[in-house]
Amino acid sequence: MPPRIHLRPRALRVRISRPRSPIHHGYASLATATTPAPPIEQTYRSAPPILRYPPTQPPSHKPPETRKSQLHRQYQSLLRSSPLLLLFQHNNVKAIELMSIRRELASALEKVDTERAKNGQEPFAEEIKLQVIQTGIFASALRVIEFFNPQDTTLDHAQHPTDPRTPTSAQIPNTSNDAADERFTHGLSRRAHEAASNRKLKSELEPLLSGPLAVVAFPSVSPQHLKTVLSILSPSPDFPAPKRRTNPDYHEPAVQSGLQKMILLGARVEGKVFDLEGTRWIGGIEGGIDGLRAQLVAMLQGVGASLAGALEGASKSLYFTMEGRRMDMEEKEKPAEEKKE
Amino acid sequence: MLTRFLTEVRVKFNPFSPRSKSARLFLTLIPPNARATGMKIEAKMLPRTSKEPASLDVKFRDGKELSLDIDKMRITEVMEQVDRHSRMLARKEELSGN
Repeated sequence: MPPRIHLRPRALRVRISRPRSPIHHGYASLATATTPAPPIEQTYRSAPPILRYPPTQPPSHKPPETRKSQLHRQYQSLLRSSPLLLLFQHNNVKAIELMSIRRELASALEKVDTERAKNGQEPFAEEIKLQVIQTGIFASALRVIEFFNPQDTTLDHAQHPTDPRTPTSAQIPNTSNDAADERFTHGLSRRAHEAASNRKLKSELEPLLSGPLAVVAFPSVSPQHLKTVLSILSPSPDFPAPKRRTNPDYHEPAVQSGLQKMILLGARVEGKVFDLEGTRWIGGIEGGIDGLRAQLVAMLQGVGASLAGALEGASKSLYFTMEGRRMDMEEKEKPAEEKKE
Repeated sequence: MLTRFLTEVRVKFNPFSPRSKSARLFLTLIPPNARATGMKIEAKMLPRTSKEPASLDVKFRDGKELSLDIDKMRITEVMEQVDRHSRMLARKEELSGN
């Protein structure tokens, strides 16, 4: 039978190798508990002021619990997180029509994703949805996104200890629980509201934002997905709708009558605004961003080859001239030598 | 707005012009089942750079055609103009007892 108690030779060795010597002793007054070193940021920045509110809920300008405020916040995050956004006008689309359009869109995008999965690209069709928006709140959120860009974080308000103006007993003002505090940088803050309500600033997308609107937001600029969405929601000769034979569901009266009432107005692509034709142009980019990269690489390679050719050509021609000259001179010398003899 | 007497609506607008607002709002006033009941609706979008003003062409059931320069009108004014003829048609229909 093996022994019940497992021997741990390494543990024994440690104890043996460090015998307490009777000579070695320390002063009790010098014994200190080791504390971990402060984080590197605290060595050049004083501790941030105490928060008087939950860190996830900074005070907002308008009452935050209302539906309007929450939609505002939601639209801001939608605008920040989606580089490609299509804007549609929907004119009295019935609920059943909207539902069937959404179903068609989802099934078409799923097909694109299975294709992408074969190539090893990540799928994101589930995040592309047709969403009806509140126009006024969306317009306001867009203004906040475009015109309010706070640069500093809350930690920047702490004074720098090497700043000569900072006495050791300096009082760092605490961030107060008041919405009027200048230091709040979130989208619902009073500063954001004031920046967005400046009527002198005009957003490019502003004229589009009236009437009933719906958006289709993409988590990344993917012409492949955009192409599918365009062929479903606003078919054109470049982006033909699926044939009746391949996709009979698409040609149901509920879908078709709903699509007749949807108008594509424009798109917002990475902060820039495109009209109908611009949107179709983006949808027509072959192979998406990778395709564009491949084109660029091919072009640069071509440039490199021709540059090398040009440089080589100059030296080659110089070589040929010099060689020609040498031959010429040798020929001239030879007959002279012959004459001397 | 009375839309029973309209047989054809043709709208052309540039969505990036702030004056095309009433053209777009006119489209929203058309009831959801209008196309199913035989109304022809055409909405044409102009490119962003075009300076062409928005236009609205309406045909009534009795054959009258109305074209409005919608880019200088508010939506209430457009509704008034269209309703003026529609109300006449409605009164005629009522008097003839149909």
